[in-house]
Amino acid sequence: MVKNFGDITAVGGVGFTIEEGETFGLLGPNGAGKTTSISIVAGLLEPDAGEVVVAGISISPASVAGKAAIGLVPQDLAIYPDLTATENLSFFGRLYGMRGEELSKRVAEVLEVIGLIDRKDDLTKEFSGGMKRRLNIGIGLLHRPKLLILDEPTVGVDPQSRNSILESVESLSAEGMAVLYTTHYMEEAERLCDRVAIIDEGTFKAEGTRRELVSIVGGRDRITITATGDLSRAVQAAREIPGVFEASHSDQGLEVLADEASRLLPELLRRLAAAGAVITGVEVVEPNLEAVFLHVTGKALRD
Amino acid sequence: MGPATRIAAKDLKLRIRDRSAFILGIFAPLVLAFIFKLVFGGVFGATSLDLRFGAVDLDDTEVSQSFREILGDLDSEGILALTDYDDADEAEAAIEEGQIDAYYLIEPGMHAAVEAGEEFAIKIVGDVDAPTSTQIAASIAEQYGAGVAGVQLSVATSFHSLDGPPPPESAAWGQEAAARGASYALTDVTTETRQLDGTTYFAAGMAVFFLFFTVQFGVIGLLEEQRDGTLARLLAAPIRRTSVITAKALLSFWLGVISLSVLILATHFLMGATWGPPLGVALLAVAGVLSAVSIMGLVASVAKTPEGAGNLGAIIAVILGMLGGTFFPVGQGDDLLSKLTYLTPHAWFMEGLAEISGGAEWRAALPAVGALLAFSLILGSIGWTLLRRRITA
Repeated sequence: MVKNFGDITAVGGVGFTIEEGETFGLLGPNGAGKTTSISIVAGLLEPDAGEVVVAGISISPASVAGKAAIGLVPQDLAIYPDLTATENLSFFGRLYGMRGEELSKRVAEVLEVIGLIDRKDDLTKEFSGGMKRRLNIGIGLLHRPKLLILDEPTVGVDPQSRNSILESVESLSAEGMAVLYTTHYMEEAERLCDRVAIIDEGTFKAEGTRRELVSIVGGRDRITITATGDLSRAVQAAREIPGVFEASHSDQGLEVLADEASRLLPELLRRLAAAGAVITGVEVVEPNLEAVFLHVTGKALRD
Repeated sequence: MGPATRIAAKDLKLRIRDRSAFILGIFAPLVLAFIFKLVFGGVFGATSLDLRFGAVDLDDTEVSQSFREILGDLDSEGILALTDYDDADEAEAAIEEGQIDAYYLIEPGMHAAVEAGEEFAIKIVGDVDAPTSTQIAASIAEQYGAGVAGVQLSVATSFHSLDGPPPPESAAWGQEAAARGASYALTDVTTETRQLDGTTYFAAGMAVFFLFFTVQFGVIGLLEEQRDGTLARLLAAPIRRTSVITAKALLSFWLGVISLSVLILATHFLMGATWGPPLGVALLAVAGVLSAVSIMGLVASVAKTPEGAGNLGAIIAVILGMLGGTFFPVGQGDDLLSKLTYLTPHAWFMEGLAEISGGAEWRAALPAVGALLAFSLILGSIGWTLLRRRITA
């Protein structure tokens, strides 16, 4: 997909596929091109070049049938504050062709899923921010779309509601729905996404599973051990353990690079103690997408 | 029910819940029309079809009687009420007491002057507080004069009621009356000068004035959806993009029709407004609403925000309303204003009502309906195109 706004290239040639039951993340800072990309996928914008196909149907702003396969959860709260939760859901359900008992049952199901069944007849202007966010998501998944697009759905949400939203997305993916998820929160991308594309300045800087991305920066866990005693012997002992890539010491303790720190840690601590080290603290840092982002874009993710 | 109707129905529910449409569409115009009627009703009531003229025939000949017979015919048709007086003093006293709006003074010598082919004047003396009635009186006499060579008119206003000189317009009326050609038929003259009675005038004026504010709720809703983020969700739904614009126009139309209908019925039954034959009124109302929707749609298409559209729409509504004569009658002469007023739907709406409110059949409203539909077609097409381009960009 390519999309220009005048002289500015918002999306400069990105492409990806999402399988059923897969969650694909677009990770990038504000202004990276995430919203423009999903606007093209959702049929809100016509790309200057490229094509979007969802469930075998080409998507464009003029296509009506293809849009039925897509559920969109915009970043803005796209709900009507003077309608109740039920009225909001029913209105959008009818736009997607749902009627009668089918609609009523589905509205009740979704209200249950998003935890608003007890507030279903309240005007949404009386809802908290988190409740509105959940309803915003509920409208998107009401018609059981093949592809659910969530554009930064947790922005401005309290931790409890955020966790609830993330759990909902996990369960939707588990049910077989394809999910396109944009975020600038590293931990959300790591938790939810089977594959992640790091986007910046309208282009994909890297794409793959978390492990694939981490491998770009050397993908090893760093174990920092605070210790005293015979640290030289301790370093030597550590290097003899299979899986340890590198070990070094300083006045405060040891630094160990390993492939799977959690598996090695018990054996490592036992051998260090046997070599005469007195251990007072341990910290394990796994390589994350933050490091990958820094590596591929040359800048840190920021709000 | 199609997508456009569903969206419009949702919007209508929202507007009913926040009561804004009720306040601007029904409550405000009803209250203002009632207040205007109380404040100005007496003044403008005298300019209505309730024409009360007097005649003083000092010549009392066959020629003068022929003019008196024309006035008598109009009296019989209910167009005016004619009272004969023996002399000018008696007639002027009747004006001062408010019994008549104007009187004709035919002085001795008319018959002889006409027979000799000499000029002769029929004087029209009118109440300064009833300028339109006086003008109508002059027009009637002018028609008569056009058929009788040599007869001129002179028009004056009674200044007794003001203890001052007659207004400068009185001289202009006389010159105007004398200058007019003989191309008018008598019935045409009375139709051209037909006015709404005070109550109906203000009821209709306020109704059409606030109509432009009421219909704004629909078309501006498109900008509100854009601002609030719900437009993206609507456009992502499996419906045609134009359905969203259609929905907003539909809501505007519904609100306008509801507002006008309630006002017409309320002012008829509560205030005694006489709107005219229902079919003619309905056609005018629908055409008026369509023109208002098209203009406000055009406003929405060029505005960047709902607030901007609201402000721009209000400015345009006030300018068009004042120019169109919804507050005070404008454009009764041949000046620039009388031409500019017909650039507004308001003027055509009021004129259409004036045509039919006096008892004419509904077809008399068709020219005004046609003009309003022309407004709708031209401006609506431009607005539709711009709005369509806006949401597909």
